[in-house]
Amino acid sequence: MTAPPERSPERDAALLAMLPHVAALGWTRAALRRGLRDTGADPLDAELLFPGGTAALVEAWTDLEDRRMQAAMAARDLAGLRLAERVRLAVALRLEAARPYRTAVRRAVAVLALPGNAGLATRTLARTVDAIWHAAGDLSADFAWYTKRFILGAIYAATLLFWLRDDSGDDSATLAFLDRRLADHARFHKAQLRCGERLSRWLPGEAAG
Amino acid sequence: MSETAAGRLPGDLTARETIERFIRVDHAGEYGARRIYQGQLAVLGGGPKGDLLRHMKQQEQAHLDRFSDLVVTRRVRPTALLPLWHVAGFALGAVTAALGEKAAMACTVAVEEAIDEHYAGQAAELGDDEADLRASIETFRAEELEHRDIGLANGAEEAPGYRLLYNIIKSGCRVAIAVSERV
Repeated sequence: MTAPPERSPERDAALLAMLPHVAALGWTRAALRRGLRDTGADPLDAELLFPGGTAALVEAWTDLEDRRMQAAMAARDLAGLRLAERVRLAVALRLEAARPYRTAVRRAVAVLALPGNAGLATRTLARTVDAIWHAAGDLSADFAWYTKRFILGAIYAATLLFWLRDDSGDDSATLAFLDRRLADHARFHKAQLRCGERLSRWLPGEAAG
Repeated sequence: MSETAAGRLPGDLTARETIERFIRVDHAGEYGARRIYQGQLAVLGGGPKGDLLRHMKQQEQAHLDRFSDLVVTRRVRPTALLPLWHVAGFALGAVTAALGEKAAMACTVAVEEAIDEHYAGQAAELGDDEADLRASIETFRAEELEHRDIGLANGAEEAPGYRLLYNIIKSGCRVAIAVSERV
């Protein structure tokens, strides 16, 4: 995984303080200064804490939400859940934490959608899905490491866009959408396994070793 | 040196990046090694050297399990070239085995010697803060050397074109190591 952005309690506190202002002011230094003033910190710290500006703010915030999601998952008892159910829970927890700040998420997505931020968007998405798989306790260390991240990346991105327009109030429509996507993938995966079984009758398997 | 990357200068790899590279390349190496023995077994599995090869494959499997575990717990990205090593390892094993038992042993000697040098370099770079990883690497290194000795005891040097085979495979391993650290 690419190295995460700098993590410090000061930066985390500043991000959480600025969130209520992002809806009106966007991911700007103005919103950050307003947030810092709210917590009694010096607004001039804004440049010091986030010299990178808008893109750095969005990156640091997605990283903070990833960590909060992992902490929320660690507090849950996952023993009875299958891997797909854990992934679903992780996505649900992440969206639930962001629900009060949906406009902030929308504005963050708008920032990440800029062509110049394509690399940043890919990195943040990669970190998020990596955090989800890790929190779900996935143990793959072969090429499935990559395929799992690609597949969840696509599902998560689609789910996030759906969530931005979800009017159900409790994310139930989004979770139904997510369930349909996970079911789609399970169906595809089963077909894939069947193909593999059929093929293995014709090809020499690894059993030789 | 008591700490990993203690003498680091700006621009050098951080301790975290060093560990990531080590685990990534070691995981890839053990993965490839297991595939080489699988390839050899596919050809020689029923022959007199079958049990010897199975024993070495089992040890490589244990090494691979350990590094797979580290990939997960230390959150290291495995190399993207695993499918390549999957095919290339098996092919190398099968082709050398097809050249004869002695050529297969020559392949083992070349591979294990490259890995021994590589592990020795890693163990020297790891500090006391990574004593666990260093101990694993030292154990594995001893076992890889044992494999090399098995190869030598079984007539590796009598293989046709031993020097040529040895040099090709060893430089191939070095390239594979350098690439797997990064990609």
